[in-house]
Amino acid sequence: MTAGEKKEYWRWQENCWIDESKNWRDAKIITAGIDVGSVSSQAVICVDGELYGFNSMRTGNNSPDSATNAINGVLEKSGMKLEDITYVIGTGYGRVNVPFAHKAITEIACHARGANYMGGNSVRTILDMGGQDCKAIHCDEKGKVTNFLMNDKCAAGTGRGMEVIADLMQIPIAELGQRSFDVDVEPEAVSSTCVVFAKSEALGLLKAGYSKNKVIAAYCQAMAERVVSLIERIGVENDFFITGGIAKNPGVVKRIEKLLGTKAVDTKYDSQIAGALGAALFGYTLMQKQGASKAAA
Amino acid sequence: MSGLFDQFKEWYEKRHDYARAWKSRTGGQVVATMCTYTPEEILIAANMLPVRVLGAHEPQNVTEPHIFGMFCPFCRDSLAQGLLGRYDYCEGVTLTQSCIQYRQTFNSWREHVPTVKWDYYLPMPNEVQSRFAKAQHYAEIKKFRGYMEGVIGKPITDAELKAGVEVVNENRHLLRELFEYRKETNPRVTGVEALYASITAQFVDKAEHNKELKRVLAELPKRKNDRAEGIRFMTIGSENDDVSFMAMVESVGSTIVIDDQCSGTRYFWNEARIQDDPIATIADRYCERPACPTKDYPLHTRFDHVLKLAQDYNAKAAVFLQQKFCDPHEGDYPDLKRHLEANGIPTLFLEFDITNPLGPFRIRIEAFLETLGEEELF
Repeated sequence: MTAGEKKEYWRWQENCWIDESKNWRDAKIITAGIDVGSVSSQAVICVDGELYGFNSMRTGNNSPDSATNAINGVLEKSGMKLEDITYVIGTGYGRVNVPFAHKAITEIACHARGANYMGGNSVRTILDMGGQDCKAIHCDEKGKVTNFLMNDKCAAGTGRGMEVIADLMQIPIAELGQRSFDVDVEPEAVSSTCVVFAKSEALGLLKAGYSKNKVIAAYCQAMAERVVSLIERIGVENDFFITGGIAKNPGVVKRIEKLLGTKAVDTKYDSQIAGALGAALFGYTLMQKQGASKAAA
Repeated sequence: MSGLFDQFKEWYEKRHDYARAWKSRTGGQVVATMCTYTPEEILIAANMLPVRVLGAHEPQNVTEPHIFGMFCPFCRDSLAQGLLGRYDYCEGVTLTQSCIQYRQTFNSWREHVPTVKWDYYLPMPNEVQSRFAKAQHYAEIKKFRGYMEGVIGKPITDAELKAGVEVVNENRHLLRELFEYRKETNPRVTGVEALYASITAQFVDKAEHNKELKRVLAELPKRKNDRAEGIRFMTIGSENDDVSFMAMVESVGSTIVIDDQCSGTRYFWNEARIQDDPIATIADRYCERPACPTKDYPLHTRFDHVLKLAQDYNAKAAVFLQQKFCDPHEGDYPDLKRHLEANGIPTLFLEFDITNPLGPFRIRIEAFLETLGEEELF
C-alpha cells in the first residue's frame, strides 16, 4: 500500500466457484437463484437439484445490475448461457428487481430451504446474519418456514456493523473473528443496540487503553448478545444452523453458541449462498412439479 | 375496483379541508376528539362536528417537550398535528378516558394548542364490567351534556339527543352492512376501501356519511371483482390509518377481511339500545361496545370477540399492528396470540411507528404468506 492509499479493511472476499466434477450439459433441469441483498449479491446455479456453481459479490447501487453481474460471473466460469437456465427465482431485498427472474420469493423462505440443503433436514432453527438485518427462522423437515422474526430498524448485529468495526480497527474483516479470541480476559460487551454507539464506545475503549483484539472481542460479544436476544424470542430447536456472512466469523459464532448452549451445524458450503441456493432449489421443485403435471396431462 | 369508494378516499385525504368547509357552510363548531369512546351523540346534538384527531405519518420534531418519547407513536403524532396548527379550525377538544398516553396528548393539546377555546375531559370507568360502571358513566354523560349546554348557551333537548343517537346508530348500521360484504369469498370490498369508509365516519358529518354509505351499498351488488383474493387476513390493534401499508398488504397476495381496531370495527360495531332516557342509551352503549384493552378486565371479553370475528369472516390468519409502546395492546398480545393460534388462526406481529418502513414490512408479510401457502415449492 502506498502512502495516502486507503485500504478497505471491510472488503470481504468475493467468491466464484463451480463444481468441475459436474457437467451441466447433461442436466435435465437447470435452475438459478439470485439473492440481491443490501450488502452482497449471490447467484447460485443448480443442476438437477444439486449445487453446481455460485458467485458471491458486493451489491452495487443498482439491483438489476447486481443481479446480472452476479449471474454473469458463474455463467462465464461455466460456459453456460442464460438461456440454458430453465427457471430463475429472485430473492433478497432486490428480489423484485432481478430482470431475468420468473418468480420472487422472500429470503426468509429461501434461507430456510438453503439451510435445509446445507445443514440437512434435521435443521429446525436458522439464524441468518445478513448485511443489514438479522433473522431468526424456524422450519420443518422440508425447510418450510414455520415461524420467523427479524430485527428492527437497526444494523447492530449485522454484517454492516462488522464492516464498520473492521475499518475502525484497520484490520481485514476476515481476521476479526480469530483475533477476538486473542485476549487475556473476555471483556464486557459494547453497546448492542446501535452500530454508531458501538463505534463510539469502541473508540472510547481504545483511548482507555484496550488492545484492538479486546475491543474486537467486546464487539463480537455485543453482536452475539444482540442476535441471541432475537433468537430467544422464538426459541432454539435443534439442529441450529447459521447462514449469512457473519457465519464466517468464529468470534461471533462461538459466542452465540456459548450463550445459547448449543452448537451450530458445520457445513462445507459457503454460508453466504444459502438464500440464493434456496431460491434455486425452489425453482427445481417447481420445474419438477410442472414437468410431472405436464407428463400426467 | 376503483371509483366506488373515491368519496371516502377524498374525505380522508382532504379531511382538514372538509372540516373547514363544513364549518363555513353550517356555522357550527368543530371539536377535536380523541379516542372512540367519545360520546359523539352529545356533540352532534349540540350541532357540532366531532373530528377524530389522526396522525399524519410523517416525521415531526415538535412533541419532544410535551410527551414522553416512549409513549405510543399515534399519541405523539396526534399531538404533533395539534401543535403544528393542523386542527386550528377546532374550537373544542375532548378526551374520554382510555389510556394514560392519550391523556398526555390531550393535556398537552389543551394547554399548548392556542386555537383551543374550550376543552373537556370526560372520565369513564376503565372497569366497564363493574356493576357500578353504567351508573357512573350515566352521571358523567349527564355532566358532559350540561357542560356542552354551557358552551352553546342553550339547553340540549332530549329530542336533539335522540336525533343524535339515531344518526350515529344509522351510521353504525350502514357500516355493519358494508362490512357484511367482506364475508364473501373474494369480497367486493377490500380492506383499504373498508378502512376509508370506517375512518372517515370518525370525522365526516354523519348524515352526509350515511348518504354516501347508502349510495355505495346500492351500487355494491352490481360490482364486479377483478382481483385475486389470496389469503384472508384479519388485522388487530389500536388505531391504524396507514393506507399505504394496507394497500401493500393487499398487493402481495392477500385481502384484509376484518379488523379489531378502533379505526375500524371497535368504533361502530354495536348500535345503541334505544331507551326512553337518551343519556342511558348513550352511556350503556359505550360500556357495552367491543372493549379496548384498557377497558377489558377482570374478564378478557375481547379475546373471544376477536376470535369470533376471525371465524365469522373466515380469516385465515391475523396480523397484529402494534403501535410501539402501546402498553394496553402489548399487554394483551401474548394471550390473544395464544388464543387465536390455539384456534387455528396463525398470527404475525408488526410494530408500527409514526412512519413505517414498507420494504421490511413487505418482507415480513410476504414471508408470512409463504408460511401459509406455497405448498408447490416443497
